[in-house]
Amino acid sequence: MLDINNLHVKLADEDRTILNGLTLNVKPGEVHAIMGPNGSGKSTLSYVLSGREGYEVTDGSVTFKGEDLLEMAPDQRAAKGLFLAFQYPIEIPGVATMQFLKVALNSQRKARGEKELTTPEFMKLVKDRAQKLDISQDMLKRAVNVGFSGGEKKRAEILQMAVLEPSLCILDETDSGLDIDALRVVADGVNALRSPDRAMVVITHYQRLLDYIVPDYVHVLSQGRIVKSGGKELALELEAKGYAEFAKEAA
Amino acid sequence: MNIAVNKTPAELAYDGMLLPHPRLEDWKWTNLRVLIDRPYPPRLKVAAAAKDVERLLKCDPLAKLAHARIVFVNGEFAEDYSSLPTGGDVRVRQHLTPLTAEAEPVLDMNTAFATGGVEIEIASNIDAPVAIVHIATDGEARTIATRHRVKVADGASATLFETHLGEGAYLANSVIDITVGANAKLDRVKLEIESSSAIHLAHAVITLGANVLLRDFTLTSGARVNRQNGTLAFKGENADAKIAGSYLLSGRQHADTRLVIDHQVPKCTSRELFKCVMDENARGIFQGKAIVRPGAQKTDGKQSSHALLLSETAEFDAKPELEIYADDVACGHGATSGDIDHNHLFYLQSRGIPEADAKSMLIGAFVGEAFDTISHDGVRDVLTRFAGKWLVNHKEEAR
Repeated sequence: MLDINNLHVKLADEDRTILNGLTLNVKPGEVHAIMGPNGSGKSTLSYVLSGREGYEVTDGSVTFKGEDLLEMAPDQRAAKGLFLAFQYPIEIPGVATMQFLKVALNSQRKARGEKELTTPEFMKLVKDRAQKLDISQDMLKRAVNVGFSGGEKKRAEILQMAVLEPSLCILDETDSGLDIDALRVVADGVNALRSPDRAMVVITHYQRLLDYIVPDYVHVLSQGRIVKSGGKELALELEAKGYAEFAKEAA
Repeated sequence: MNIAVNKTPAELAYDGMLLPHPRLEDWKWTNLRVLIDRPYPPRLKVAAAAKDVERLLKCDPLAKLAHARIVFVNGEFAEDYSSLPTGGDVRVRQHLTPLTAEAEPVLDMNTAFATGGVEIEIASNIDAPVAIVHIATDGEARTIATRHRVKVADGASATLFETHLGEGAYLANSVIDITVGANAKLDRVKLEIESSSAIHLAHAVITLGANVLLRDFTLTSGARVNRQNGTLAFKGENADAKIAGSYLLSGRQHADTRLVIDHQVPKCTSRELFKCVMDENARGIFQGKAIVRPGAQKTDGKQSSHALLLSETAEFDAKPELEIYADDVACGHGATSGDIDHNHLFYLQSRGIPEADAKSMLIGAFVGEAFDTISHDGVRDVLTRFAGKWLVNHKEEAR
């Protein structure tokens, strides 16, 4: 589904390389965790995959469902099935959550040549998904993420994911800023979306999240490349030893 | 010292009347001597073909929302296209009495050259909106001047729409004189969607009695040159005036609004809110002046203008002026300008919304606060849709 091959990325306006030969292969149904210390390139990876400006790919390739992902605009990537759950979801005053969600869903459907949902169909879908994530009608009435607590923002991201039904979900530090209860709600939401057709890349700093979203594979990112890969037990090993050990191995 | 000026061709066509230039403080950004770059002869009769008028009337987004429409075609009242209000509480008659207001270039031009106007008197609570529609058909370059008077009686309430649209190169001069009696309410919505080669000059003189609620909204999106003056005087206590506006400008469009809010009596509230969007080489200007007269204590006056610049070459200028002669007042002003927030844009795009649609959403969100001044739901929806399509439309037209 996703093939990242020898990816090198630098900041567009700075001579600083952030990803340094990253290779990763994700198949449908798999959940991959990417762990690494601050500055290892975790968030850059999520932004480069979702098409944020400000980065320059200097070498390597990314194919998504057989197509060159890097050639696509962010909205085309989304329509193709890629979804990034932001570490810090953006507040957009003046844009109503429901309108935003409806335009997003129907834009994607239109791009894929599918029939757009009518307002009643859309309302029914959102109501159903919101209930499962404990998201109140009041939250849906507000502007996008405006006035949401940290936990509410993360739940709103998962709601968007549940409504848009992407085939590849990238979760960027979804656990940051969440207490245990909120973490459980969010993780339950994510787990409910696991399916044989859907892959997930879970980017996290701490092992804690992986107790709730259990990955098939764990990768350690250090200085812009994957230095070790393993099963879910690798996360525990990391927690015990710390990142320094792995950085040394890489060097 | 009297300096002889070489009159421009446009000034000669106006019987030698001098056009305003940047040495006049209120006109420092809008040099009509240069912008009116050729003669626009006044009082020139241009025949309008019925099919043109009908087509243009259909282009008025507010057409379906007004219950009574008073139509002016090329500066003259067009009874055939009008549907006058029925019932005795709204009286409409033609009038051409000049305003006895201060000397001012737009007003002076209107006084000299207006060819048509109506007086609308509203005596009670009228829910059904009354619209004045100004149509200019394609024809010789000319000046089209109209002058209206609206009187809302004590205790009455009314909704007034004003649309200006047309085709071809012309100069529209539009003056309106509005008096709102004590305890009355007026909602006014003006839509300026003139031809892209037109010049639109306007002046609104508004007088408010005690306990009045005025909500006034202007959307400025047409004409290559736009200058709109507003002078509002509070004559009775506890009145509340909300004046809002929005520009949606592209190409080389130029729009300049100058408002003077005159707090003559105590305890009145004024709010001015302008949200202006400029793309390409467009230029927007907002000049707001508040005067608080001696004794006008407990005045609460605020003005703010905000610009969203969609290109590096777009420009916005704001000039607030406060003249305060009372000590127990709350007056303030603020202005901001910026471009589209790229984090907002990326977030919307990352959810599958194409760039142009995402920008349109953000433009809608930006102007929304000003549009909220419109209390008529139907009009707010129609104009919100207009704003939502504006970016894509003007990019297509440019192609």
